[in-house]
Amino acid sequence: MSHSIRPCPTLNRREFLRLAGIAGSAAVVASCTPGSSATQPPPTGNAEEPQPTDTPSSQAPAAEQITLSWWNQFFTPLCQELFPQIIQEFESQHPNIKVEYELSGGPPGGGEYIEVLLARIAAGNPPDTCTLWTPPSEFGARGALMAIDELMAGAAKAKPDAFYEKPLKSCQWKGKTYGLPASAGAGCIFFNKGLFEEKGISTKREDFPTTWEGLFDLCRKLTTVENGEVTLAGFVPWAQSWLRPVYAQNNGGQIFSADEGVYKINSSNNVEMLEHWLKYLDELYGGDIEAFNLISNWGGDVYPEGAFQLGKAAIDASGAWAPTDAQIPFEWEIAKFPVGPRGEKSHTGFWPNWWAMPKGVKFVNEAFLLTEHFCTDGWVYWYINGTMDTPAWKNIPPDIFCKAVEKTYGTERAIDFHKFFTEYLNDAAEMWTSPIENFANDTLGQTIDEVLHKAKTPEEALANAQELCQTKLQETLESL
Amino acid sequence: MSHSSTFTSRMTHLPRLRLTRKARETITGYLFVLPWLIALLVFIAYPMVASFYFSFTEYTMLKPPRFIGLDNFNTMFNKDPLYWKSVENTAYYAFFSVPLSIAIGLILALLLNQNVKGIGFYRTAFYLPGLVPAVASTLLWMVLLDPKLGLVNLTLRIFGIEGIGWLRSAAWSKPALILMALWGGSGSTMIIFLAALKEIPQSLVEAAMIDGANAWQRFWNVTIPLITPTILFNLIMGIIGSFQVFASAFVAGTGNTAGPLNSLLMYMLHLYRYAFRYYNMGYASAMALVMFLVLVVLTVALMRSSRYWVYYESDERN
Repeated sequence: MSHSIRPCPTLNRREFLRLAGIAGSAAVVASCTPGSSATQPPPTGNAEEPQPTDTPSSQAPAAEQITLSWWNQFFTPLCQELFPQIIQEFESQHPNIKVEYELSGGPPGGGEYIEVLLARIAAGNPPDTCTLWTPPSEFGARGALMAIDELMAGAAKAKPDAFYEKPLKSCQWKGKTYGLPASAGAGCIFFNKGLFEEKGISTKREDFPTTWEGLFDLCRKLTTVENGEVTLAGFVPWAQSWLRPVYAQNNGGQIFSADEGVYKINSSNNVEMLEHWLKYLDELYGGDIEAFNLISNWGGDVYPEGAFQLGKAAIDASGAWAPTDAQIPFEWEIAKFPVGPRGEKSHTGFWPNWWAMPKGVKFVNEAFLLTEHFCTDGWVYWYINGTMDTPAWKNIPPDIFCKAVEKTYGTERAIDFHKFFTEYLNDAAEMWTSPIENFANDTLGQTIDEVLHKAKTPEEALANAQELCQTKLQETLESL
Repeated sequence: MSHSSTFTSRMTHLPRLRLTRKARETITGYLFVLPWLIALLVFIAYPMVASFYFSFTEYTMLKPPRFIGLDNFNTMFNKDPLYWKSVENTAYYAFFSVPLSIAIGLILALLLNQNVKGIGFYRTAFYLPGLVPAVASTLLWMVLLDPKLGLVNLTLRIFGIEGIGWLRSAAWSKPALILMALWGGSGSTMIIFLAALKEIPQSLVEAAMIDGANAWQRFWNVTIPLITPTILFNLIMGIIGSFQVFASAFVAGTGNTAGPLNSLLMYMLHLYRYAFRYYNMGYASAMALVMFLVLVVLTVALMRSSRYWVYYESDERN
């Protein structure tokens, strides 16, 4: 009997295409299936905040090797140089902890920082610690961040009274602390000594006006108008938006009170403040805000692109970081903010870099150690070797100063600036404490814009802003 | 008879599932589009349905959404003063940018529909601005439109025109945005019109010439009717695109205000702020739903109106 040999089955084109379609679709479906590919570990813990262990932060944690992730938005060459050193110091103190981080200006993998961070918090897969350029109070109130009061109570260095009061308050909501301020670069007046000398005005710090009227009179002397155009402005009080709470408090008013949980935008103090700003516009700067804005970049701070460095403004306001960051090319001096008719004391402002631990962090104690390090010794290291961005931590060695300032301006000036800003921080205004900080800032910006455009009177505009902000605050608080 | 041989015998008598050739081809086709279908469901359909649901909720992303009915819409229409400002700004932008873009695109297409040396270079040159990313082109235009040192005002000064504030002026900021859009968007409109012009049968044009029609008469009575489908397409796409303007308004807006007196507060920018600055995803979803409905209504209205002014050659033949 012969065996019949079955011919090998041939694959025609249709069959080939059909099989290719099946294989391709199977590959796509397989790649969409979660679980088998490398993913982040699922968040531990339940919906409640993980409770810290009893291990004090001064003791070394258990020997298990832990990797912590730190997210941030830093990217400059100086950050690339100094932050690895800060991390290295932390890792040498805690050999069982490794820190994963990037200094690319955004979250790992790209994208908009806050959007990606919130998405990861919502997904229960956040980084262990993160740097925020938005106040922790806003996120903490919404339940995005861990309260760290118990951790702070047991901390070696980051105890509550170790920080300046107002910068720490920017991390708090309803009695709980949701982050730590690493820096609290204090604000102050900067003035161009050369331009003052040209007008025969004293350049001594102690001679700088201490009242709003005094500053206005000084600006009247400084402001120069040629062919109907302002060629030199004295001071533009509305230019630096972050200092609004400072100006308000320097006139005995307030924008927002965290203790009372209310906005106070339309107080008579603030109406008076805006009327005073209108006086600058109308009596010194031609009365037309759009024409005035064409002259120079008044909001450019003391940086190279701003009116101050361009020689168009004799006086500006900025923060402690400016001398090292802005590289001002002429002789300048600093002074405290003048006080309004209803103000009693000069307050300063501050603009922190905050650190926080999102909800859902896996290694709570270790993450707090890292956060504590950044906001204490770590930031002091940055302050000495990087920019003069005043630490928010009070327990710094008394004789330190920023080396970059010393290199440019000499040791005496460096010590003087250090003393000035650290002492001034004791008189900081309340700021960055609202759970609707972004909304309020945008609304206030629009309000001031309307007043300067003469679209509304200060009273009308502030009343409108008060209603919008207070309503938004109420709605937000009801939803929390 | 052994058990195995009974089993084998039964197996050989099982009815064999036979698919028709058409069925096999259909299944193959679906298998090939399955990746796209999955992407459509996951990245388009699901987000749309989710957004529809979120528009009736209070949702911060950090807590589960809480159903609040029509509260978001009530806030939008009655309590948010900037909502109507954003609608006004967007309507202004769309009203001017869309017709201008179509007109400029058509003019460029007519000019580039010539058989001259180097025409390929010119077509490329006019199309290239459309390839520049929105952020980059906005930054470029912010330099060009600088009131003091920008090239645009320096050129206008030659003609005695002074002091246009452009992005620093409440009156001129939207025209500035429209200018940016025309520079970037006319190229793609031009390409589409060019393709349509190429399709016009030369015999019709020649017949019109023989009948004594001048250039304008040929353009108005032959060219325009034959490209009305393309005009309709560009009109619909232009309206949809103009309503969604975001990047240029976002980049060109200054500080906490979206331009002087909120003159650059476009609808999508207002939506973005509520979603990602104020953490109010529910309200932002409600805004997105309203925009979607408005665009659907406008598109349907345009399509319905097309029966009166759009000429399809296939209709003629039928």
